[in-house]
Amino acid sequence: MSNAQHFKVAIIGGGPAGIGVAVGLAKRGVGPVVLIERRTEIGGTPMGYRKKPGGVPTFVEWTRGRVVFGEELAGRLAKRLALTDTAIRLSTQVTKIDPAEKRLTLLGQEGVCDITADAVVLTAGAREQTPAEKGWLAGARTSRVGFTRHLTGWLDGHGLLPARKPVVVGSDLIAYSAAAKMRDAGSDEPVMIDQRRGPSAGLFERFFFRRWTRPDWPGGVTAVEIKGDRYFVGIKSNDGKEWPGDGVIICGELVPNTELALLGGLAVELPSRQLQLARGQALSQPGWFAAGNVLGGFHGAQWCYFNGRRVARTVSHFL
Amino acid sequence: MTQFGTWQPKIRGRLFYNWPCGTCEEALRFISPVQLGSKPYDVAIVGAGVVGCALAYRLSMYDLRVLLVERLHDVGEGTSKANSALIHTGYDAKPGTLESELLREAAAYWPDLAARLKIPLDPIGGIMMAVTDEQERQLEVAKKNAYANRATDVSILSAAEVREREPNASSDVCGGLLVPRESMIDPFMASIAYAEVALVNGIDLLLGVDIAGVELGQALHHLITADGHRLPACRIVNAAGLGSRRLADGYGGGAFDINPRRGQFVLFDQSARSLVRHILLPVPTVNTKGVLVSPTIFGNLLVGPTAEDLPLDDPEAAHTTLEGIRRVIEGGSCLVSGLTEQPVVATYAGARCACNQGSYVIRYNDGAPGLVTLTGVRSTGLTASISLARHLIDGMQKELGLELSPDIEALDTRPESAWPGWWRRPFANDTVDARVDHGCVVCFCEVISEGEIRDALDSPLKPRTMDALKRRTRSMMGRCQGFDCQVPLAEIMSSHTGITISQLTKNGPGSELVAPSQRAFTA
Repeated sequence: MSNAQHFKVAIIGGGPAGIGVAVGLAKRGVGPVVLIERRTEIGGTPMGYRKKPGGVPTFVEWTRGRVVFGEELAGRLAKRLALTDTAIRLSTQVTKIDPAEKRLTLLGQEGVCDITADAVVLTAGAREQTPAEKGWLAGARTSRVGFTRHLTGWLDGHGLLPARKPVVVGSDLIAYSAAAKMRDAGSDEPVMIDQRRGPSAGLFERFFFRRWTRPDWPGGVTAVEIKGDRYFVGIKSNDGKEWPGDGVIICGELVPNTELALLGGLAVELPSRQLQLARGQALSQPGWFAAGNVLGGFHGAQWCYFNGRRVARTVSHFL
Repeated sequence: MTQFGTWQPKIRGRLFYNWPCGTCEEALRFISPVQLGSKPYDVAIVGAGVVGCALAYRLSMYDLRVLLVERLHDVGEGTSKANSALIHTGYDAKPGTLESELLREAAAYWPDLAARLKIPLDPIGGIMMAVTDEQERQLEVAKKNAYANRATDVSILSAAEVREREPNASSDVCGGLLVPRESMIDPFMASIAYAEVALVNGIDLLLGVDIAGVELGQALHHLITADGHRLPACRIVNAAGLGSRRLADGYGGGAFDINPRRGQFVLFDQSARSLVRHILLPVPTVNTKGVLVSPTIFGNLLVGPTAEDLPLDDPEAAHTTLEGIRRVIEGGSCLVSGLTEQPVVATYAGARCACNQGSYVIRYNDGAPGLVTLTGVRSTGLTASISLARHLIDGMQKELGLELSPDIEALDTRPESAWPGWWRRPFANDTVDARVDHGCVVCFCEVISEGEIRDALDSPLKPRTMDALKRRTRSMMGRCQGFDCQVPLAEIMSSHTGITISQLTKNGPGSELVAPSQRAFTA
């Protein structure tokens, strides 16, 4: 397509990092900028953690010593975005990238179109590791084996508790907040299963959630199998211990959403799916940058936002 | 231009789910046999795996009353859903056996059949790779075997020729056997397409109905369901796969032993697809065909299976084990280098219905007149399904006095629009213009739109479980395994069908997506 619309900068992903880039670029007077978000609203992952009076404040922002709900935090960031001139494309997915031409193919309600840009910033965030990716979980493929995103979807979206006797796989901040959420909604105290000797959440984080949950911690397991025929009935470790339950939440251990980069031919390390980064969070092709959780690791929304702001500076220097 | 989901044929058959009130639309619920009419069935097929569905499809071309009964909650949900997704040429079958004959016949049918029923098929060809000198000597044997099966298009390749065709082949490779026409296929769509056409042509389909026994009569038998309903049929075909022994016990069928053989598979992400250009097969041993490495029609890379003999009725027959997965990756790495660096998307396991009395055991008038036992259909069942159905119908004409008169209204094709899936990728602007929801992507990994989900829900063989929807659309099958899309998909399914979210299941009643509140737990 020759009539591709051209932008100065295209941002892939409308979470905290993407918003940070857009705000940062607007402060530097760079434009026009387009922000592409595949979901129906701006805000990314924190948006799923709905504000509920009296509820467990999950997806917390630690930086200023205050605790807010994810939705609140994302809403605040979205307001900052609304003050800029950034063009926003919601419910639009980037289906293909051409790194050399800096051309993106978009699919949305208006159909398929191509856009080009002088610089592209990948802020696609991350998702939780699947059981197969973890490599120490095997067994049945039953129902009620879900992720934290499912938990927030069922609980905050529909008032449904996915498990009354839950098993939580993982032990980081996300795992503790998931446990707290379920406990608060009336589940039994969850069992927390991880490969580690001790929980990966810090002492302060665990202390924060003690008000709601003190999960059973059977200590490090080396390998576990999911038991059940069509629905989950429990988890069993390779040394014969069993923990019954009626649902599993697989938490944390994020995998960056780098498939666009990988399939588009940008340098990505496998099997970790980590982007290969140069100085200033630049990717392997000139004009391509990344910010936020897509870099790998596990960062809060606030960190992602400021990381986005920082990348905006690099991008404007590049331009 | 063909529109998505515009196939709204006149459906002459009836589809019912044996589900409790509220778990699906009232019109789809099986309440009593009265819903099926009072006339007895000419043929009742127990088991809607790929073989049962193929038989129903073939029988639907004739003027017959046919019933297809399945214990699970979708067609092809047992053994048929977990296989290596290949259409074989039968070059490696034991010459002179029924299996070899059926495979050869089927291999000739498949290209045309796949085009008519819109089952994605790609004949990329296979290479049997030898990685030791001993295996290289066996290639000659394999070639002779292929010739005996009249697969005369195979040829032996040198190590250099293999490497030229497969740059990522393991450095140990010392020769290969090129097998043209080995094809990859969408394994789920085969059962679905067969059953869909059969349903449109007037066969009745009962899902979620467990057959507890058979009441034998003079000319008329009755299938007794677990709920105590009686379903009258003149002829009964036992195509129950792993359940065929239990069913055969119910009508005094002859002796055979089933020995489930578990196969575990590892599915790699699309980035691994470029590692291979053909289906790479190991040189088989006496016990097993070994671990193969094959691209999938969806652009992933599939490695497997293991072959583990399990006791009958092992509840863990479809469970994966870490040991099994390790062996699969090890086996695959013998053929292809670089496999261990590739990201894994999913692992799965299936149990093949191996029979100690041999493969493809067919017995007519088994135990009583009018009963047909079919068992021992192993991993080649997907390929052979269509010729096996032809073979069974011939046999039933001869042995059971089945009379056939063609049904002039019967369809033998599905239109392009039947499959609201990736069939017509990439998305075209006019499709999105015609219906906006075809531009609303819900499954980001596989790029499946809300419109396609709704079309699938409205298709003749109405999926009402998340797994059934997944097999029709590929949603939730991508690298995130439903992380992003499971909840939105459940919301679409709920709003489209009226089933409340808490009643939605992964694969039928009991497997609700959220734990039922009533369930009492004893820790």
